[in-house]
Amino acid sequence: MRAMSRRAAGLWIVAAAGIVALGAWRATWRASTIDPDFLTGWILAAMVAALAIYGVRRRLPMLPLGRASVWLSVHVVVGVAAIGAYAIHVGTLWPEGAADRALALLFLAVIASGVAGHVLQAILPARLARSGPELIYERIPTEVAKLRAAAEDALVEAAGAAGHETLSSYYAQTLAWYFERPRFALSHVFGGHSAEAWERQRLAAVEKLLSADERPHLAALAELCRHKRAVDAQYALQTLLRAWTFVHVPAATAFLAMAAWHTLIIHVYAG
Amino acid sequence: MSDADVDALMERPEIAAIKAENFPPGIPLRGLFRNDARIVSLAPGAIAVREGDYGNSAFLVLDGTLRVILPPGLPREELGRQAPRTRGILETIARAWNRPAHPEARDLAGRAARLKPEDAARSFMFLQDIPRVLDGNRTVTLQAGDIFGELAALGRVPRSATVFAEGAARLLEMRWQGLRELRRFDPGWKRRIDENYRRNALLNHLQAHPLFAALDGETLASIAEKVKFKTYGDADWHVALKRSKGSGQENAADEPIIAAEGSRPDGIYLVRSGFARLSHAVGGGRRTVTYLGVGDQFGLAETYAAWKGGGEVRLSQSLSALGHVDVLRVPAHVLEKHVFPGLRDAPAALATERRIEEDGLVDWMVDERWINGTQTMLIDLDRCVRCDDCVRACASTHDGNPRFVRHGPVSDHWMVANACMHCQDPVCMIGCPTGAIHRHEVGGVVVINDDTCIGCGTCAASCPYDNIRLVEISDMHGAPVIDEAGKPVRKATKCDLCVGQPGGPACVRACPQDALRRTGGKDLLVHGTESAGR
Repeated sequence: MRAMSRRAAGLWIVAAAGIVALGAWRATWRASTIDPDFLTGWILAAMVAALAIYGVRRRLPMLPLGRASVWLSVHVVVGVAAIGAYAIHVGTLWPEGAADRALALLFLAVIASGVAGHVLQAILPARLARSGPELIYERIPTEVAKLRAAAEDALVEAAGAAGHETLSSYYAQTLAWYFERPRFALSHVFGGHSAEAWERQRLAAVEKLLSADERPHLAALAELCRHKRAVDAQYALQTLLRAWTFVHVPAATAFLAMAAWHTLIIHVYAG
Repeated sequence: MSDADVDALMERPEIAAIKAENFPPGIPLRGLFRNDARIVSLAPGAIAVREGDYGNSAFLVLDGTLRVILPPGLPREELGRQAPRTRGILETIARAWNRPAHPEARDLAGRAARLKPEDAARSFMFLQDIPRVLDGNRTVTLQAGDIFGELAALGRVPRSATVFAEGAARLLEMRWQGLRELRRFDPGWKRRIDENYRRNALLNHLQAHPLFAALDGETLASIAEKVKFKTYGDADWHVALKRSKGSGQENAADEPIIAAEGSRPDGIYLVRSGFARLSHAVGGGRRTVTYLGVGDQFGLAETYAAWKGGGEVRLSQSLSALGHVDVLRVPAHVLEKHVFPGLRDAPAALATERRIEEDGLVDWMVDERWINGTQTMLIDLDRCVRCDDCVRACASTHDGNPRFVRHGPVSDHWMVANACMHCQDPVCMIGCPTGAIHRHEVGGVVVINDDTCIGCGTCAASCPYDNIRLVEISDMHGAPVIDEAGKPVRKATKCDLCVGQPGGPACVRACPQDALRRTGGKDLLVHGTESAGR
């Protein structure tokens, strides 16, 4: 994990102070002309708008709107502060009523996926950098296809050299599955060694059945398996780095729509 | 140039002395003038070259008198410099809104309008009130037969001075490619260009160096007479580099030695252009201390120590050429007479506090010549979340076409992405037949004029970093553009550092993790040391 920057530390302090002040005001409120639910509701709405605007900024990279990293720092801090503002506004994290619960559920989904994404973004890049060849995500299927073709070439050469198809048959029964597409995603995500153990066991099982002419080709297959493992790790980690946004963005969009509806209804019935 | 112009030119003594038979059949002398030169006429006050501009041509004075304005030169406003034009916000939004629907689409009708015949005629800036300019500035006169502008043209550096016509004048303007061939095949022109080049380079360089800044003109001139001008390595260094990329063959042991470790200090070495490696022996190998670029010096501390203390002072490091390097050597006796008596403190030796385990990245930066970049796209893979926001930002500012690939060589957790580095020595400019790839007048960013690019691929083949891509273009409706031979029309494309876009490079601005930076020179080594030290 990276050390917190001075900018982020400053933002966290300001946000924490703001939420504590809002909470203290709400707790000590007795009676005044300001309705605390309206005030805290509008503060929360403003925070949600500030969070949503980051998505707009990402879609307008051609405009000189400042560095996206500053926007992201603000987005993260305001997002976490919004939990406090939400709790102050609602009084609980799990309100009564189906509509309010649906709103709360979406809010929690957005926050949880956002926090998860933030943590993943802090942890996974360094693991990716050390997990083998750096690959562009969209090119990984092509890379796997290249490895599969190289493995099949090795089998043809092995069959030619040995005069029988022991290795080819074995490949078709076992290793073909491995070279078909990225495998062992969970193991790679959690830093396990399942793929390595699987490869070792499969390659060792057939080694004793091979002639001296075939063994160099098995060594070539082992090298391709090692490469495939690194590609699979890239695929698993890069998929995870993208996957959280498939929860965060739709949940945020639904939450925005429902929050707008909630604001409208509250004002209609309050009036 | 027309045949009549070439005939007239061939009569001039400077040209008549050239032996046409020395030129190979593929590069005939007449063809060289016809294709690479033109005659330009200047009215009084017209500026032929402007200080600070990047230019690809040199000039031979045919008639008339011109003046070179010596430093400090004319004020910026008087040279007609304007603030660089940057698109406004509304214009940027409108451009993004009207972006072509097809990749690499070109507005061919607009192109015809942009290349109106009248634009081809060269227009000149003019100096007002010539007598006042002459009174207020030190100048040198150029007359018929003199050559100027070769320093910037051959060295791919900015013009060092402004030259204007005192009266009506005619010049032969020669593109640097033609000048290079003249220098290559005619010994007389080679001698002349080199003498000029060395004399001007030397004076400019000495004047700019802090060690000599306090000296008067007379002393400087006497030092200049004794300075040696040396060139090491191959001018086509990029060819060898491209061949050896990734092979690990590039190292200090194979490089031409400029000054050897263990030898007596005999003066200082000033790097005029190119790069040199500073290294010293450790065990059976060599450690790279750092590299020296334009303006850096070597040997000052040792030469000073030898003068001050006498005794057995030896060079503790070697200086070797990285590719191609021009070096000035100022002899020890000159420094002892003119410079050392004025120094208050002993100069510090060039050394490194780096640990051996931190060498890997520095070696990589130097061996792979990333140090050549001034705007290298360096991505910290420990921070990069592979979101490709940088690529999308690039595409959004270039009509939907990204101008770099977020991929490239990696060392430790640093990636040098395949984005134009806007090199100090942009070898991509060598050989461009139309001059389409050139230095932008603002900041020296290397850009490609899409209208004049013929898609020959010379620049892409020359770039040792594979940062230029050829694309097949289409019209605004997505139909492929075909030439007369029925082949698809190609254009060279690369990063233009968002020149003219508001806010600078969009890729840097768009990175949400601060993982991407554009950096160059010694800053690259700083990143390497930072990373290894953690």
